[in-house]
Amino acid sequence: MRRAAWFTILPTAAVTAAAPVSATVYLTIQAAQQAMFPGARFVAHDLAFTTDQRKAIARGSGVGSFDKVQRVWDVRSGNGRAGWFIVDRVLGKHEMITYAVALSPDGTVKRVEILEYRETYGGEVRNPNWRQQFVGKRSGSQLQLGKDIRNISGATLSSRHVTDGIRRLLVTWELLLKNA
Amino acid sequence: MLSRCRPLLGTYVEIEATSQAAIEAGYAAIATVHRLMSAHEADSDLSRVNCFAHLGPVQVHPWTALVLERALFWAKESEGAFDPVRAGRAAIENGYLPRHPGQPEPVAAHWSWLELQGRSVRLLKPGCIDLGGIAKGFAVDKAIEELRRAGADRGLVNAGGDMAAFGARPWPVRIADPLTRSPRVEIALDNEALATSAVVVGADRRWLSASVRARSAMDTDALTKVLLSGSTRAHHCLDLARATGLRIACDGSIEEVSGEMIPA
Repeated sequence: MRRAAWFTILPTAAVTAAAPVSATVYLTIQAAQQAMFPGARFVAHDLAFTTDQRKAIARGSGVGSFDKVQRVWDVRSGNGRAGWFIVDRVLGKHEMITYAVALSPDGTVKRVEILEYRETYGGEVRNPNWRQQFVGKRSGSQLQLGKDIRNISGATLSSRHVTDGIRRLLVTWELLLKNA
Repeated sequence: MLSRCRPLLGTYVEIEATSQAAIEAGYAAIATVHRLMSAHEADSDLSRVNCFAHLGPVQVHPWTALVLERALFWAKESEGAFDPVRAGRAAIENGYLPRHPGQPEPVAAHWSWLELQGRSVRLLKPGCIDLGGIAKGFAVDKAIEELRRAGADRGLVNAGGDMAAFGARPWPVRIADPLTRSPRVEIALDNEALATSAVVVGADRRWLSASVRARSAMDTDALTKVLLSGSTRAHHCLDLARATGLRIACDGSIEEVSGEMIPA
């Protein structure tokens, strides 16, 4: 068995063909609303896009695939509008991300928060040889294997999907919310 | 403990700390690094250097100067295995970085064409500096400083795999296989930094990823590139940073890499 001074090699036998999923919830919608617009009132203003609207948004933003209903809140404070609160979802290669965007009344991005990050480990099953090599092997064990460890250092994930999503939301604002 | 995640530095930046004020201070530092050192933003310090530093000296923010200085240090010590000038030209050629209006086509492909004096930056011929291999780590160091300054007694910053943590108890962290994203290695991060860089998928290399653990996240970020290059200077560089490393090979095996002075 290999001795390692500062790390523990994890057993991979527990990984099954069921493509385990890890999800991290950072904020609920309500918590994000209060963090972004403290003390404001939130009036639901969901957008159910028509086919023409979807086409126009896709054309204007260059992003073709998105939900048919956009969850939007008209944010009120006092008698006026404090801005817009939008919840959106994007699909990456390995991840599904739900995020919230706070827009000021003039359509500028005030803040972006990731609400939930869901990652799939589906690729593991594609190469069973890798798994076989480490079945049952574990060395230099100083740590209890935690079930809830989610601090992962790995290949850098690009946030391009969220960036594209925000561009699409800004086009949506321009077309459907600016004069609402 | 609060945990937040925002898109910055081209990736997802996660901050965990005991207070919201500390988390905001951490994100503010990261946003500043993003603004100064992103080659994607046309008005960043770095883009000004890439557009104009071949014509004459360009003054940059002290943080940008600090990162450039450290980048040059690692370029020299690794004998070019880490090279922000060569990396920048390759990034332009491969379309990973945009060429902004007025930005010349990069000619320089070696760090020695880059000169830094104080906060003044010059390129001896047109070139493109890419700090993508070191600035994320620096941002993590700065965010950790801000978390501490804001009074947090425990915290973790993870900028897409470049991470650092502090506090009385160590943080359990896992290193994931870059292809499958499944966790392969677990370590206890104890007032220190850990960075992992992966090889671009499809590249014909021996390793899938390299991880480095040291005090400074900026150093760990740069050193993962030295480990991935297979350079014989890797051990020397690890020693300089008092760092240890590991690599996940293409066959899935895990190899420890240590400095010259530490017996293997």
